[in-house]
Amino acid sequence: MENATTKSKGFGLNQTIPLATAAMAGVFLWLGLSQYGFWHDSKGPMSGFFPVVISSALLLVSIATFFQSFSEKRPTLPLINWLPAFGVVLILGATLLLGMVPSLALYVVLWLRLFEKYDWKTTLVTTTVIMAIVIGCFVIWLGVPFPQGLIYEAITE
Amino acid sequence: MKKILAIAAIASLISAPLSAGASDFTPKKDIEWVVTSSPGGGSDIYTRFISDAMTKANLANGKTFLVTNKTDGGGEVGRLNVSRTAAGTRADHTLLTFNSGDLMPMVKNTSNRLANFTPLAIMAEDKQLLFIGESAKYKTFDEVIKAVKSGAKVVIAGSKGDDVATYEKLIKELKFTEDQLAFIVNDSTSAAITSILGGHVDLVMSKPAAADQYVVAGKLTPVLALSSTRFTGNLRDAPRLSEVGSYQDVEFPVWRGVVGPKTMSPEAAAFWAKSLKTVAESEAWQKDYIGKFKLIPSFLDQQAAKAFMTKFEQDYLKSIGK
Amino acid sequence: MENINMLLQGFSVLLTWQNVFVTFLGAILGLIVGAMPGIGSLAGVALLLPLTYSFNPTTAVIMLGSLYYANMFGGAFSAILLNIPGDSPAVMTALDGYPMATVKKRPGQALLVSNFSSFIGGFIGMIILTFTGPALANIGLKFGPSEMTALLLVAMTSIGWLVGENPSKGLLLTLFGILLACMGMDTLTGSPRYDFGNEYLLGGIPFTPFVIGMVGFSQVMILMDERLVKAKEVTEKLTIRGSLLTKHDLKRLLPPALRSGVLGTFMGVLPGAGATAASFMGYAVQKSFKSEEPLGSGAVEGIASCEAANNGAAAGSFAPLLALGIPGSGTGAVLLGGLMLWGLNPGPLLFTNEPDFAWGLIASLFLANVVALMCAWGVIPLLIKILSVPTRLIIPCITVICIVGSYSTSNSMYGVLVMLISGVLGYVMHKFRYPAAPVLLAFVLAPMLESNMRKSFIISRGSLDIFFDSPLSLAFMTIFIVILLFPAARAVFGSFTRTKMETAK
Repeated sequence: MENATTKSKGFGLNQTIPLATAAMAGVFLWLGLSQYGFWHDSKGPMSGFFPVVISSALLLVSIATFFQSFSEKRPTLPLINWLPAFGVVLILGATLLLGMVPSLALYVVLWLRLFEKYDWKTTLVTTTVIMAIVIGCFVIWLGVPFPQGLIYEAITE
Repeated sequence: MKKILAIAAIASLISAPLSAGASDFTPKKDIEWVVTSSPGGGSDIYTRFISDAMTKANLANGKTFLVTNKTDGGGEVGRLNVSRTAAGTRADHTLLTFNSGDLMPMVKNTSNRLANFTPLAIMAEDKQLLFIGESAKYKTFDEVIKAVKSGAKVVIAGSKGDDVATYEKLIKELKFTEDQLAFIVNDSTSAAITSILGGHVDLVMSKPAAADQYVVAGKLTPVLALSSTRFTGNLRDAPRLSEVGSYQDVEFPVWRGVVGPKTMSPEAAAFWAKSLKTVAESEAWQKDYIGKFKLIPSFLDQQAAKAFMTKFEQDYLKSIGK
Repeated sequence: MENINMLLQGFSVLLTWQNVFVTFLGAILGLIVGAMPGIGSLAGVALLLPLTYSFNPTTAVIMLGSLYYANMFGGAFSAILLNIPGDSPAVMTALDGYPMATVKKRPGQALLVSNFSSFIGGFIGMIILTFTGPALANIGLKFGPSEMTALLLVAMTSIGWLVGENPSKGLLLTLFGILLACMGMDTLTGSPRYDFGNEYLLGGIPFTPFVIGMVGFSQVMILMDERLVKAKEVTEKLTIRGSLLTKHDLKRLLPPALRSGVLGTFMGVLPGAGATAASFMGYAVQKSFKSEEPLGSGAVEGIASCEAANNGAAAGSFAPLLALGIPGSGTGAVLLGGLMLWGLNPGPLLFTNEPDFAWGLIASLFLANVVALMCAWGVIPLLIKILSVPTRLIIPCITVICIVGSYSTSNSMYGVLVMLISGVLGYVMHKFRYPAAPVLLAFVLAPMLESNMRKSFIISRGSLDIFFDSPLSLAFMTIFIVILLFPAARAVFGSFTRTKMETAK
């Protein structure tokens, strides 16, 4: 499912990825050498040894990938693909207030009804099925203590 | 006779909540009991044993204990959350399993301190020994000391936290360096035992319970008791350090306790401390927990636990130069 | 022959109504727990442990043993149907299982391949366990830090088989994965590193939410593209008869399943290696054998190699557990805790002191293997219906499962956050054609490599000799060096390389 790709011209995300890993490698390298120690005479490698070796290698590979990236096609990242991630952020926010289980149910209802424009019947049946799995399996059987939210706690206080 | 027993049983059931009612606090909602290690581990079993015992003896006013394993950040996140619980109903219904193995990394790696908690009790204590394997190069600890002095490198395997602290105390007393008598930190005691069974290290540090079956099977032999008194049973042959040479005995207290958040009301703290005491004095606790895990039944009540933990923290902070 | 008698003795212990019932119960629960993302065998066994306090020890361990075992079957379900591995050993199953179910439109066959391979791998493991149990455990003991280091170095080279079309991108992600795994507590010194003063990072990045995000949630984001594509046609193929394996499928399945079964059993016996590492290894090894279709495109061989390996490992890990009282994995450690609670003394004397218990457990694994296969088979027609649910309905549902699953691993929002970030990362990586498998493999293997290497150096006082002292480590180091030098040798014989490349394509 590779959709619209354009020949990369100039600087873009293609280059950002190796630059980001190079930056990460730099930070890990520096911290490893300056704080965690590299080699001990009799104990051999210390905390920083392994990360330092790996981050040096990552730095080199990142640079190679960076130069290679200019000859690559640049994929597009359509906004619509980010909606689920945005949804998770909203659920995280709603959980603080409503608790996790109600937030999840609300999310499924809103997504199906408002975004996908399903009829109420399909929306509610789907929501019921998925929530039955969540509540039956995770809440009742496995006893996972999901956050209950400020409202619930205000009521039970 | 049967009738009397039945009445006694009922009476004991009723009296427990009644006597608890003597203080000004009774649980009004479910209690969240935080354990900062994984389900199924030692701390988890310890917590579930106590909470089950409390439920069975109806020490929590019929409310449920929700044991929650919070393992994020090596447990630091769970401990921090408990310490930050705001005063109120919630703080009175939050308990935290707190062991020496929790306190040490907490004060070493974070700024969280015992002062942010309300100690409620210390339920049990444990100690360690050093063992050799079947095909050991050195048969006694005396031979180990002589070998190290003549330049051989001896390696001990052990677990995290408590074992490391005990090891550091040991080499300090022996005046050896970490190069002479080295220590390999494993994720668990069983991993350490694995490496000595394979003959990859010279000595292994373990608590009695974890090593018991290997001693029975002749795969491990105790060579040094890290205690100021000798152990009993199949561990009684292990000498203390002062019996091996002109040293002081090395002992590092390993304890299991329970605390609440700092904001827990004094009434609630008194209530929980009392309930824990009831559990610690029960026969089931002595037999099915202390006995089975070969622990030392040294219960410390609220005041004593606080004094003990505070002193422990001070000593430990001093030992790591903080 | 004595072992067969003991096994039969074990079956006589097992075949009571109560024990057969709990085997079934354990197997069904295991399938469910396995299929639920985020709740792996570790959490499943741990959460059910309290339920078993009232059972007698044999019955209790039979239930948990079959749960642990059936879990390996269940993990593949969600991996194949939704591209979300139900547990970490199923990560590799998704690589070929999902394309086979969707692109090739053979979901029933994909599930059956996974079931059969699991069965075969597990069966091999159990046979090996029955005949060589204690001896096998003793071989595991021979692997000390230096031997493990050498073995893991060989294992790491297998990442080379996974990097895909663009080696530099694959290598970049491998190294990235290793660095991520370095964050958190350094066990050997007991102090944190790369925690950036954050108490959550003190414990490092939790693997399960990371996997759910990297493989599962990124999939949701990718699916947004296909959302409006006309609902997948539901053909009459989605029946039991239409999902049966052809003779040809079986012929393709058998060699990798047999190989991986043996390899996986061996991996399960090694200290700390476990089922996840075994399935990675099984898959990587398959890369060096011939597969009819390229791995990763929905090849039967791909599914078979990793599923057989993880079930072999699950069976193999019982050898050190029963013979020596040493847990090979987190789940094993919980079972061990269970043994103590039930009043048994796990340790080297278990086989001698409690033969009924030990052999009853082994016998129950055989039964659980059959039961899990049957149950899994039975639910396949139901399961493949999931695929006919329109993508538009599936998207919010998978999102919910990802959140719930990642929350459940540590009961905290931190898990959800890790899932979200790694999901976005996984999506971007997919778009820019970076392969995900090397990150996950590196994440699992690198910490083991590092700690074993550093332990070796502590033992040897910083000398490299230790890696060439014992015959075992010497052998593995030789293999490692040969593998490293092989590409150089190949470059010299250029023509040979070209023919090789062509057969690979």
